Amino acid sequence: METIASVVLDSTGVNSINELAPQETAPITFRSGAQALMESLVAEGVDTIFGYPGGAIMPVYDALYDFQDRLNHILVRHEQGAGHAAQGYARMQGRAGVCLVTSGPGATNLVTAIADALIDSTPLVCIVGQVGRKLLGTDAFQEADVMGVTMPITKWNYQITDADEVPSVLSKAFYIAQSGRPGPVLIDMTKSAQLELMTKPFHYERCQSIVSYRPRLTPKTEQVEAAARLINNAKRPYILAGHGVQLAKAEDELRQLAEKAGIPVATTLLGQSTIPVDHPLYVGWLGMHGNYGTNVLTDQADVVIAIGMRFDDRVTGDASKFIKQAKVIHIEIDPSEIDKIIKADAPVVGDAKEILKALLPLINPNDFTVWRNEFRKYDAIEHEQITVPELSSTEGKIRMAEVIDMLSTKTKGEAVLVTDVGQHQMMASRYYQFKRPNSLVTSGGMGTMGFALPAAFGAQVGAPDRQVVAVIGDGCFQMTLQELGTIVQNKQPVKAIILNNNFLGMVRQWQQLFHQRRYSFVELQNPDFITIARGFGMDGQTCDARENLSDALDTMLAHDGPYLLEVVVEKEENVFPMVPAGASVSQIRLS
Amino acid sequence: MNEIIVHQSNPINHSSRPSQFKMTNYTICIFTENTIGLLNRITIIFTRRRINIESLTVSETERKGVSRFTIVIKHESREEVEKLVRQIRKIVEVMAVFGYLNDEIVYNEIALFKISTPLGGKSLDVETINKQYKAWVVYWGLDYVVIEKTGNNEEIFDFFGYLKQYEILEFVRSGRVAVGKTEKGLVEYLPEADWAYYL
Repeated sequence: METIASVVLDSTGVNSINELAPQETAPITFRSGAQALMESLVAEGVDTIFGYPGGAIMPVYDALYDFQDRLNHILVRHEQGAGHAAQGYARMQGRAGVCLVTSGPGATNLVTAIADALIDSTPLVCIVGQVGRKLLGTDAFQEADVMGVTMPITKWNYQITDADEVPSVLSKAFYIAQSGRPGPVLIDMTKSAQLELMTKPFHYERCQSIVSYRPRLTPKTEQVEAAARLINNAKRPYILAGHGVQLAKAEDELRQLAEKAGIPVATTLLGQSTIPVDHPLYVGWLGMHGNYGTNVLTDQADVVIAIGMRFDDRVTGDASKFIKQAKVIHIEIDPSEIDKIIKADAPVVGDAKEILKALLPLINPNDFTVWRNEFRKYDAIEHEQITVPELSSTEGKIRMAEVIDMLSTKTKGEAVLVTDVGQHQMMASRYYQFKRPNSLVTSGGMGTMGFALPAAFGAQVGAPDRQVVAVIGDGCFQMTLQELGTIVQNKQPVKAIILNNNFLGMVRQWQQLFHQRRYSFVELQNPDFITIARGFGMDGQTCDARENLSDALDTMLAHDGPYLLEVVVEKEENVFPMVPAGASVSQIRLS
Repeated sequence: MNEIIVHQSNPINHSSRPSQFKMTNYTICIFTENTIGLLNRITIIFTRRRINIESLTVSETERKGVSRFTIVIKHESREEVEKLVRQIRKIVEVMAVFGYLNDEIVYNEIALFKISTPLGGKSLDVETINKQYKAWVVYWGLDYVVIEKTGNNEEIFDFFGYLKQYEILEFVRSGRVAVGKTEKGLVEYLPEADWAYYL
């Protein structure tokens, strides 16, 4: 009976012939592994896949042919692009991005994106073809030990060698990728498992739990109470909000807590946009090129409430000198982050949203105006010494800050900003006035150059109603520029701005400041970016005069469809403030 | 004229440099699902942190499908070992991890010695071997014997010293096996309520 039900339920059309045949003689054929994979994705609610076909994944692509009405497959130009696009998509959607690539080089090209997703806690399900089971370990064509390669950079990986495993492994993959601290999962699927038929009816059940993997969501009451006691007795409390706040969708809870107790809130790089920049409690962001006051005053807080962040060395500077004076409350879903870098006096393990909800009624209303005003003093210094000079030049080339500031005004701080890595990334973070949650997509932990263009594409697919603007350096752009083709083919209205200084700017800045201006391989002879864009069928223009910048941005934003704006900026501009590598945060330099 | 400017960047931390800290033995017991590749997933956590594995033993536990890894390391910092344990716990298939100091466990290793016993050579003092060293001859060959000795590291090397008077043809020692004296070790990461389920 079960098998007949399965045949009727079959949506591939392949088995429907059997229904018409006389029941007693009809051989019951079950789905192939490849078909089961497609059914599993549909059952999981997946509607978008970023991928690139090849030999060892061809049976899956053949099955996909019949699923085009339910699965929107996007053909990228390089597998790394599929990975970053899936990351951008995942960050916008708050659920796993899916990649589909072939074995060997297809899989190894995906590796950078997987590593990036792991360190920035982005849920991905990467499905990778593999040579047939009998060829495993024989150095077959396009065989690479992808399980071995990706083991250290995935949250979980699994090799499917049996078609019957497909539904259960896929449901497990999505559960692991999306639950707890999200991360990338890789499924290595042998070609034989794609081709062979299942021996039983297809049945997909969403994974709800795994015996050996039980991320704690609800915090322990005593941990929450201990944190509340510290907050209630604090004189100079300070909230450091990380990416985890956004992953837990806890922006409202964060704001409620901060407002009730009047605590100043700083964010990490990836925590930006969890609280609007114009919120009175927002004091800026932390890190090597973060705000002046936020960095200096971390050393004066008496209670630090770190939420969903992991004390990256770009945040702490010299960790042995970071917030030594403060009691630390560490709110974190991943227990291995507790005490990893900074010892927590009150660790609270669980989901940030649940923890903040539990904490709220235990917190006494308070007002730390005097303490908050100290941040404003530093803000004034930063404004006078950094921001004003950056934004009020009338001579020389356009400065990066001016572009971002103008973009911020023109988009009312409501765009999704996708940035690459380097000076432009820091400038974008410093000068964009984020008003909406979940508005910054950037490669934080891995610092992957080439991230922005494909990630912006993925973000636009994941958030079709939002204005997506990629801010890219001239060096970064040349790492993944082939994805212009993907953007054009899929008619996604991504706006890309290249801030072109003809340099690998951040490396040049370090060479200038710390290596006596010995510029070692940082100058680029760039192509004509606009000709390249046009070659891909994308409109664009170059702007190299200050007086044309506003019009150029207006043209870009008003353009129907994708657009590339190249802005020629000051060649040797430095990003300040800066905490020199290995220094303590209070040694932040303004020049 | 030909001035060479030497630029000092951050000094490289040579981990091969002999440590000035006191190294302590830690025994890490890991309970996992029995799946392919898990050994690799566990050992890369050690490799990445440049921690050498002194010994490693894997076997199925009293629960079918549940494997137990017993890994011995030397480390100067308990804090770092605690971090290591938490990283291991993070592996999806890992059910529980315990880190123990030597006095918190009952542990043993097994060693086999292949000793040459040529005709007319020095005869083996089996009584001493049995009574003083608690070791047993488990195989008699024509011109050699195999002696089995169970014990801790020191006991085995003590016996090794004794056997040096004979010709040791082969010597092999297993990894440590250990059971905790108390239910919990110095670090454990399993939801408390579920503990009884796994052991």
